[in-house]
Amino acid sequence: MKIAPPLQVLIPAGVILPLALVLPGLCHGGGWELIGAFAEAALHPSLDPVVVDSLLRGLGVTVGVALLSWCLSLLLGLLLGLASSRLIWSTLSGTALPAELLRRFLAIPRSIHELIWGLLLLQVLGLQPAVAVLAIVIPYGALVARVISDQLDALPDQTLKALLSAGSAGPAALLTAMGPPLLPGVVSYGGYRLECALRSATLLGVFGLGGLGNELLLTLQSLEFRELWSGLWLLLAVMLSLESLIRALRQRWGLANRFGQAQPGVGRQGREILLLLGLLLPLMLAISHSLGIEPAALLHWQPLPPLHSQHWQEALALPWGRLIGNTLLLTVLSACLAVGGAPLLLLLVAPWRLAQPLLRLLWALGRLWPPPLTALLLLFVFKPGIWTAALALGFHNLGILGRLLLEGAESCSGAAEDALHGQGVGARVALLYGRFSALARSYLAYGAYRSDVILRETVVVGLMAGTGLGTQLQESLSSFAWDQIALLLVAYAALTLVGEDLSDRARRRLL
Amino acid sequence: MDAPVLELRGVSVKGRQQPRLDQVQLSLHAGERLALLGPSGAGKSTLLAVANGLLQADQGQVLWGGEALSRRPRIKRRQQRQIGTLWQDLRLIEELSVQQNLNCGRLAQWGWPKALLNLLLPIETEACAAALRQLDLDPALLAQSVGQLSGGQRQRVAIARLLRQDPLLWLADEPLSSLDPRLAGELLQLLLEQTAAPRALVMSLHRPDLLAGFSRVVGLREGRILFDCAPEQLEPQALQRLYAGSTTP
Repeated sequence: MKIAPPLQVLIPAGVILPLALVLPGLCHGGGWELIGAFAEAALHPSLDPVVVDSLLRGLGVTVGVALLSWCLSLLLGLLLGLASSRLIWSTLSGTALPAELLRRFLAIPRSIHELIWGLLLLQVLGLQPAVAVLAIVIPYGALVARVISDQLDALPDQTLKALLSAGSAGPAALLTAMGPPLLPGVVSYGGYRLECALRSATLLGVFGLGGLGNELLLTLQSLEFRELWSGLWLLLAVMLSLESLIRALRQRWGLANRFGQAQPGVGRQGREILLLLGLLLPLMLAISHSLGIEPAALLHWQPLPPLHSQHWQEALALPWGRLIGNTLLLTVLSACLAVGGAPLLLLLVAPWRLAQPLLRLLWALGRLWPPPLTALLLLFVFKPGIWTAALALGFHNLGILGRLLLEGAESCSGAAEDALHGQGVGARVALLYGRFSALARSYLAYGAYRSDVILRETVVVGLMAGTGLGTQLQESLSSFAWDQIALLLVAYAALTLVGEDLSDRARRRLL
Repeated sequence: MDAPVLELRGVSVKGRQQPRLDQVQLSLHAGERLALLGPSGAGKSTLLAVANGLLQADQGQVLWGGEALSRRPRIKRRQQRQIGTLWQDLRLIEELSVQQNLNCGRLAQWGWPKALLNLLLPIETEACAAALRQLDLDPALLAQSVGQLSGGQRQRVAIARLLRQDPLLWLADEPLSSLDPRLAGELLQLLLEQTAAPRALVMSLHRPDLLAGFSRVVGLREGRILFDCAPEQLEPQALQRLYAGSTTP
């Protein structure tokens, strides 16, 4: 038995069967009227000027944090990416060893979620606007560095060799030969990171690091659903505008879209790109000023307490097997819900033209709605646990994967699907055979990458929905048990590094 | 007399500057094999798209077996099962096996479960093998991926898929244009053999030298029918008028 590609994309959706079985047992009886009130408030958001004003200020902080951390992480990522490129080190000094060492070192900041960085920095630096920015810049910078060094090392190097053999100096040859082909890939990836930065900045707000996320959490906790929806619609407007802007720029500059991580071609509008990059510096200064960031305040560190050896025994006695097992199970369930759910929903609504815009809206809400808030909302009706956490995390990632699936479906030829329609095949089967066949491999490869991100994100819902390492981390943080925190971070880092390796292997097999 | 397999009554399709089809009147009966000639942009592909229901006419009526395509999806799909198209680019699904592609011809008849099962297990193997044998292909190809086939094999697999669909009306959009003369002759012969009554064939062509075996030839220029006659009655002047000012044939 060999499963054909279009069916492969639906297999993860099999997780819905066990979910349907356990869901009735998860309900705790109350809370449905709250869910009803929440849904109804979507149509009647609060227009009270005081509320709108406060939400707009929160939104300003969130967007500011997102933009500033995005600029800084690109800059840091570019520098670290060049410094960890095997090609650059071997061209300039004859050995790639420093690049290898730096790559290994950068795996650590990359493997820890921005939320954990945020909570740690909060302990060290106290509450100040720069904490949220730094929390995003550290993991994002390391992520961008990896992508840049990978792209640089994968580029063909014949031109470089030709220039070097003609006697050009190393740095000049590198810039001339590798700069232009590297730029489109970096810009395309950079655009994607801006979307991620907006989501991260909102999320950090939920955990008290300022901005709209905080407002959303407070309105949800005080059951002010109409005010909550005012904030959500505002955030949705900003997110959709940003996504459209990035898509328009990608098309204008002839860059590959994110789906399938296709290798982009050479951009046509190099000057425009460089001009925009040049504008980033004044933009960063303006945002730092408006957010009230004081670089001097970053130098005042609160020292961490010393780790006493007698505490290690207690930390080691934590139920590590259960914590890690739950985290992995949460990852698998959420990934299956997201990866399998997107194509399944698209197939289900295929015969109805009007349903697709609704599905797009649902996915957009999933993308922007921070998973811990979804978890809180689900807790109105479900008991805390792995399934509730998986639903929250799965819904968020479903929004991201759904959009990518639609983009992929729109960019591939619809000829086979039309041919099937023409011979009387129904809309769902025509979509499954005609389009999913061509999309399946690249979609699943992206799903593998996303699963790796989901593993990192488990901490976010773990903090709310009571499961896995995330919950333990919250307990350890609130009791200042630094030995436990240190061990939990090591466990998280190790898990995500193994996950990253597994998803890389899966992706290489698929593409 | 039975209703025509296909009938176009005063069909027009608007274009940007001039109509893509202009008041086209055509009826095709069981057993007829119609060759559609015309220069590029004459409206041949538009006529075929209207004939298989993928494009809606702006004016006029299109009837299949005496009925217009229903607005109700279920009935429309049942009607469309009787229309099979051989596309110029074949539209085989590269990621699936030959057998799965052949079974695509039956998807309109099957329900969901069988459509899914086809992606999991080799089903209706004997019927698929019979379709391949009819086209002189080795049934051992069934398990192969379509991507591994040669150009000639791909053409035949696309026709075998039509055999599996078993439609009454066969439409072919310039299937011979990218083939060498020997392969084009073979493929044409195959299509003519397969479309005896009650079936009927409409094939758009670039080459007036391949008309042997057709029962009718229709010349289309600027969306209008210039001539509609038996191939042996076609005069060289009519062909000259058809292609006047164009680089083809």
